[in-house]
Amino acid sequence: MRYREWLFLLIVCSVGTAFANWLGYGVSLQKSIPGLTVLILISLLSVVLVKVIPVKIPLVAYCSILGLLFAAPFSPIHTFVINSVNAIQFAAPFTIVGSFAGIAIGDKLKEFVSQGWKYIIVGLLGMTGTFLGSILWDSFMLKITNAI
Amino acid sequence: MSKTKQYTFHSLRERIRSEKKIYLMGLLFVIIASSIGELHFKIGAGVFILFPIFYAIIFGVVSGPQALKFFNNKEVKLASKLVVVGICPFIVKLGITAGANLNTILSAGPALLFHGLGNLLGIFLALPVAMLLGMRRDAVGASSSLNREYQVAIINNIYGADSEEASGSMAIYIVGGMIGTLYFGLMASIFAGTGLFAPKALGMASGVGAGIFMASASASLAEIFPHQAATITAMASASNTVISITGIYITMFLAVPLTDFLYKKLLPLFTPKTAKAGEETK
Repeated sequence: MRYREWLFLLIVCSVGTAFANWLGYGVSLQKSIPGLTVLILISLLSVVLVKVIPVKIPLVAYCSILGLLFAAPFSPIHTFVINSVNAIQFAAPFTIVGSFAGIAIGDKLKEFVSQGWKYIIVGLLGMTGTFLGSILWDSFMLKITNAI
Repeated sequence: MSKTKQYTFHSLRERIRSEKKIYLMGLLFVIIASSIGELHFKIGAGVFILFPIFYAIIFGVVSGPQALKFFNNKEVKLASKLVVVGICPFIVKLGITAGANLNTILSAGPALLFHGLGNLLGIFLALPVAMLLGMRRDAVGASSSLNREYQVAIINNIYGADSEEASGSMAIYIVGGMIGTLYFGLMASIFAGTGLFAPKALGMASGVGAGIFMASASASLAEIFPHQAATITAMASASNTVISITGIYITMFLAVPLTDFLYKKLLPLFTPKTAKAGEETK
């Protein structure tokens, strides 16, 4: 994709985020604009880096690390970045992703309906393993660091 | 390779012409889903919750070629590229939250900092069963993710939104999100009831999932250990904050590669079995 296309699509997604932020969380469109602009610019910078840097690292890794660097205490613009993005509620940018992802799996509906029970079993096992693994590991870590 | 060959569209204008229906419907789904808001259903002591994101996903799926046929197979493919774009601002937002809380995380102590590593046990439990049930590459997406948005996002980015892995991850996201709140409350009571674990560790484990899971699990724990309720809640929310940040890197660099590796190791064990099972049913 060209940078132009990235920019345009990021703006489309941001319009979705602005609506979700407004209708779902009552944050006005005006208040969302600075935060959305920051998110678009850092996303674009990540796209540039993933194209320029030859090391194979997923795009989301750049997004996450650049976001962290811009908001870290040593960043000269961290106050502005943090305050403006704070207006964007956690799940708001993910709602439009949900719409597109739903459309993108639209050709697997029949499969989902017939296989759904399997996902429930796997989901329950995943949750149980994650929870139990976490209790065991945390108990161990708390013990060796003398926190219990 | 010539440069023009890499692009799906000749120009931005052509892209917009082909995709405008997806943009408009995507936005419409967001507007409807956000207007409905969260729905809570009480079941016994627990709650079953539906989130706006689920409605948006369901509207998208239902409008596709296998139901309302509003979108055709070509548009389904195009939408998967848009998912990757939409993920970026979401992950940037998480990165910014991480940066803003950098000092809190670094000073949280080693137990909290490395808290997310215990999650990897979930893969060992879920993956073999998923494969036994006959799942293929979707097992990788289903087993390496719990229910968190960032996990869905990372899998979509690594394997592509039209991949088997991504649909497995998305299915678990929906299932986990719907029943997770109920199940985490139940699970916390059961593990606390064994008497084997310290309330502090149980509190930390409550924070592994979405915020709402943590609320449900730590509420159950607070009822069982009323004198330690404050410690449990504090540990749960600290671990939830830390893992929503470290979890991105754990998923990206440990959980997904580990699941992929285990899948390849386990595949020879399951391939002959599933083939045989298929023959028997025939």
